[in-house]
Amino acid sequence: MEPTETPDNELVARTQAGDARAFDELIVRYSPRLYGLIYNMTSNHEDTNDLLQDVFSKAYRSIRGFQGKSSFYTWLHSIAANMTINFLKKRNRRATMSLDDVDNGIANDPDFISATAEHDPRHQANLSELQKKLNEAMMKLSIEHRTVVTMFDIQGMPHAEIAKILGISEGTVRSRLFYAHRQLQNYLQEFIKS
Amino acid sequence: MPEEDSVSKLLRLKRFEQPPPGYFEDFLVEFQARQRAELLRQSPWERFSDWLGGLAPAFEVPKLAYAAIVVCAIGVSAVIMGQPGGQSAVLASHVASAPSLSLSSPSAASIPVGEPLPVALTSTGSPSVHYVLPTRPVSYASSRSF
Repeated sequence: MEPTETPDNELVARTQAGDARAFDELIVRYSPRLYGLIYNMTSNHEDTNDLLQDVFSKAYRSIRGFQGKSSFYTWLHSIAANMTINFLKKRNRRATMSLDDVDNGIANDPDFISATAEHDPRHQANLSELQKKLNEAMMKLSIEHRTVVTMFDIQGMPHAEIAKILGISEGTVRSRLFYAHRQLQNYLQEFIKS
Repeated sequence: MPEEDSVSKLLRLKRFEQPPPGYFEDFLVEFQARQRAELLRQSPWERFSDWLGGLAPAFEVPKLAYAAIVVCAIGVSAVIMGQPGGQSAVLASHVASAPSLSLSSPSAASIPVGEPLPVALTSTGSPSVHYVLPTRPVSYASSRSF
């Protein structure tokens, strides 16, 4: 959070008092991050948009009951994660992936360059291929494993925060990550350099 | 480099997957429009149950639970009102105050609406209830004229 930004608890208090514009500020602040969380769990832009709308609707309706026992960040992420998990369980389908949503910045990322370097002529990878493989690998994981991988590896959340958001122990977070990484190593062998 | 670190590095590349430019600006506008539409669409009961649900989101009380509580309260009230003890006091006062009449000599006198029903005394002196139709039929029409 930038030093000049209004603290979350102040925006929450103003929202609870009836100031809808305070909630708009919270949306602007958290929508990019929540978009990333939901998108990496669903791999579908349209589903992500609908879910993100639902998440903020639910948060707005429930905010009067928010008592500050956890941070607003944790509370909001908990709503987003649980709604997405419920959505995926109900749908129980393989996501249709949106392949046009990659930021151009990835081309300059050293990890991307390393992953797609032509060290073997038979395995020439490009941007779309890598993205497709990553999404396919993620979708092969169970919903619970994909969730912890999204939060830890993609969003960079610490184990303790993930445990609080999902309502599980840190040990469970670690064991799910361990198992998920093993699975992903198998799926992504061709992109992992020895 | 351990393979697990390589997996993490590959996964971090997914941070570059972003929505099209301008998406988040449009998102806020869409959210505000949707909120307005929801408010117009919701019934008073839905707004009330959302308000109740907002007070205790951690408990995730189903909305039907609130309806069940209201129905139970109405049911209990109906049962209490339907109990014989609930109306016995009213009946006893009518028996005590009504004039004695019998069906064998039906009275030509009209009985005003709202008056207690007449009760005849048997040969043993105990009251028995008879029902006499009031001369003025029940009407829901207003007696006032404009």
